[in-house]
Amino acid sequence: MSSTTISGKPAVRRPLTPATARFLMIGMLMAIIVAIGALVADRFLRPANLANVFEQATDLALVALGQSLTVLTGGIDLSVGSLISLLSVLTSGLIDGNGAMVLPVCAGVILLGVLVGTLNGCGVVLLKIHPLIVTLGMGAVLQGVALLYTRSPVGGIPDGFDSIAYGRIGGLSVGGIAVLLIFVAVAVLLRRTATGRAIYAVGDDRHAATLLGLKVRRVTILVYAASGLFSALTAIYLVARFGSGQPYTGADYTLSSVTPVVVGGIVLSGGRGNVLGTLLGAYLLALLNNLLNFLHVPTQIQLVAEGLIIMAAVAVHVEREKRA
Amino acid sequence: MLLVSGVSKSFPGVRALSDMQLEVREGEIHALVGENGAGKSTLTKIIAGVQPPDTGELRLDGKPVHWSGPAAAKAAGIHVIYQEFVLFPHLSVAENIFVGAMPRTRLGLLDHAAAERSAAALMARLGVSIDPRRPASELSVADQQMVEIAKALVERPKLLILDEPTAVIAGKEVEALFERLRRLRDEGVAIIYISHRLEEIFEICDRVTVVKDGQWVATTPVSEVTRDRLVSLMVGRDVAQLFPPRPAGLDAATAPVVLRAENVRVGHRVRGVSLELRGGLITGLAGMVGAGRSELAMALFGGLSMDGGSVTIGGATYTRMIPARAIALGMGFVTEDRKSEGLAMLQDVGANISAATLHDVTSGPFLDRARERTMAQADIAGYRIACRGPGNAVSTMSGGNQQKVLIARWAHTCSRVLILDEPTRGVDVGARTEIYRIMREIAARGVAILMISSELPEIVGMSDRLYVMREGVLTGLLERDGITEERVVDLATHARQAA
Repeated sequence: MSSTTISGKPAVRRPLTPATARFLMIGMLMAIIVAIGALVADRFLRPANLANVFEQATDLALVALGQSLTVLTGGIDLSVGSLISLLSVLTSGLIDGNGAMVLPVCAGVILLGVLVGTLNGCGVVLLKIHPLIVTLGMGAVLQGVALLYTRSPVGGIPDGFDSIAYGRIGGLSVGGIAVLLIFVAVAVLLRRTATGRAIYAVGDDRHAATLLGLKVRRVTILVYAASGLFSALTAIYLVARFGSGQPYTGADYTLSSVTPVVVGGIVLSGGRGNVLGTLLGAYLLALLNNLLNFLHVPTQIQLVAEGLIIMAAVAVHVEREKRA
Repeated sequence: MLLVSGVSKSFPGVRALSDMQLEVREGEIHALVGENGAGKSTLTKIIAGVQPPDTGELRLDGKPVHWSGPAAAKAAGIHVIYQEFVLFPHLSVAENIFVGAMPRTRLGLLDHAAAERSAAALMARLGVSIDPRRPASELSVADQQMVEIAKALVERPKLLILDEPTAVIAGKEVEALFERLRRLRDEGVAIIYISHRLEEIFEICDRVTVVKDGQWVATTPVSEVTRDRLVSLMVGRDVAQLFPPRPAGLDAATAPVVLRAENVRVGHRVRGVSLELRGGLITGLAGMVGAGRSELAMALFGGLSMDGGSVTIGGATYTRMIPARAIALGMGFVTEDRKSEGLAMLQDVGANISAATLHDVTSGPFLDRARERTMAQADIAGYRIACRGPGNAVSTMSGGNQQKVLIARWAHTCSRVLILDEPTRGVDVGARTEIYRIMREIAARGVAILMISSELPEIVGMSDRLYVMREGVLTGLLERDGITEERVVDLATHARQAA
């Protein structure tokens, strides 16, 4: 009994951390998809196709990054879809093909995204209403405003703007690389800063976080503001990809942004998970869609496949939790 | 009636039980005692079919049994009342009792009237008066416990296992529970009673089995063993003195006042309390569960907002307090509910220790993990926290070691005041003495300690000054030789004064 820390014992094989296990699972699913893809079409494994997959994950990954942060605090942001719609019509409508307007409009759109997110956060904190309701209401308002502004695709972009989506560096899309870097930066911030720890603590237990003297309200507002920021970036990216903003462009993202989050292992009740899982989740979904396209599977069936993947991912997670 | 023999169970890296034995007879209350991590929970889970044993045998009424799962054990009449209740808050008492087995009318509809009648009959059998139509969420914790027991009785149990049933109730409620358990015993039900509170074992149990490090140590009639003997069997050594001696030369009257609360009010729970905490001393706060002790402590720390009154600390008086300010003023708070309010169970020892002082381990915008690790390593050695190191997840540690992690965390912030709410709940005897020693060390730095405890020997043994609270007001202040169990009980319970 000279020392109470166990140090001299032979190393016990430590169980995998949940994050590692999750990454392995996604990696295995990807490997399966790649194997099937390689069997059915030799074009599947070509660099050009894989670069395509990398590019196609960009928009979903970006929205899902913001969603990851709100979910990590135990919340959710259901206004992202409408916000993307509104900001995309504003971006292309206000730029309207004029190169000089690009910078001021993009800056304004980003600012507006952050502002809307901040309002969401303040609503959650001050009204003490469940984030689901606050952001659902905000989403309805934003969709309404977008439709007041325009009912059809509007405006346009100057030459060169589309390089955000279609530009390539070493064969990979510029937007995709940017998103990858943003994810790494956010992952480092979450892991290595006091604010990052606070986000996890708030999601783990709000009251406990308060008792630690953490600025729970500030953290909550921050994650919704960040979600607004990433929605704004997604809107700009989509305008670059499609050439104009449409008032329903974002509609699908509201719920689909939650998919990579959950598949990537972030728990809906908050406090657990890793944004890099979200990124992998987005790549996995893009890869799956790509494979189904190769197989000429109709879109409806693709949705079914996506749904099954979500359920499987969550089921595996729950099973692991039970054993833990 | 139940015979467990040669049972072993291993988990990755841990041998939880080895060659365990236990014999429980019909119509007896059999105590199962041992330190945390001794294997009581694992044994319970094996008996209840939650986990299969690796080796060994379970016999029920002489016949060997192999449970396919908890349902099989239940069907055979084995029921466990866990510390955490599994009641549906919005369902009525009757619905909770018959959950999944509601009586039906001839049309196949749920027969609420019949359920309520049967529930009322069960309540009568237990000797309690709880309206079967009330939603479970409205019941007191003690009544919820009765509903849990009633739920088990529906299935006519042969063996009832209670895991720390008195951790959540106090005083008269405990007496009432014991009365009910004796009734069940007299009806022939065998009861396994798990508790850390040795006094209770002597009060209610017939025989006791001591386990230590996953192994059987002794089984004996309670009447043939003393408290000290039990403790030494559990710990494996003599605990000469549970409580460290009060340091000599400490004068309660002249110690400096570090915190003064004036007329603090919190809703109906705390109705105008004034008290002083003095540096270097352990001030106790005794009272029944529900007397408002935790609420008062929370209010001093800012976890609950005061509806009136003020707190004076560090030369300034505050009518509003928030935890961030309390921490900045040199306060620390080890909460009652270690798992949900205290620790981030998923995180490691290092992150939990630094959680309230992250600015100390931050350089520039980033956390300095190396400094955090150094800090944790010092605490692990200083407080003798048993773990693999700063990277050990707290969720895998015993209650006593988790509590030490929490104390270590707050020891970094509490230059003036440290509040501990039930610091030894669910903590085994060996770790308790360590926690007492650590409390004395922290007090010796001049920190004023406020300790809330529902355990009389503990609060009497540790307090230099002792406030007693009842129904939201202080009913007395005891000092030094005036601190006796009788006085505390008297002040905590004596009948409501005439208005």
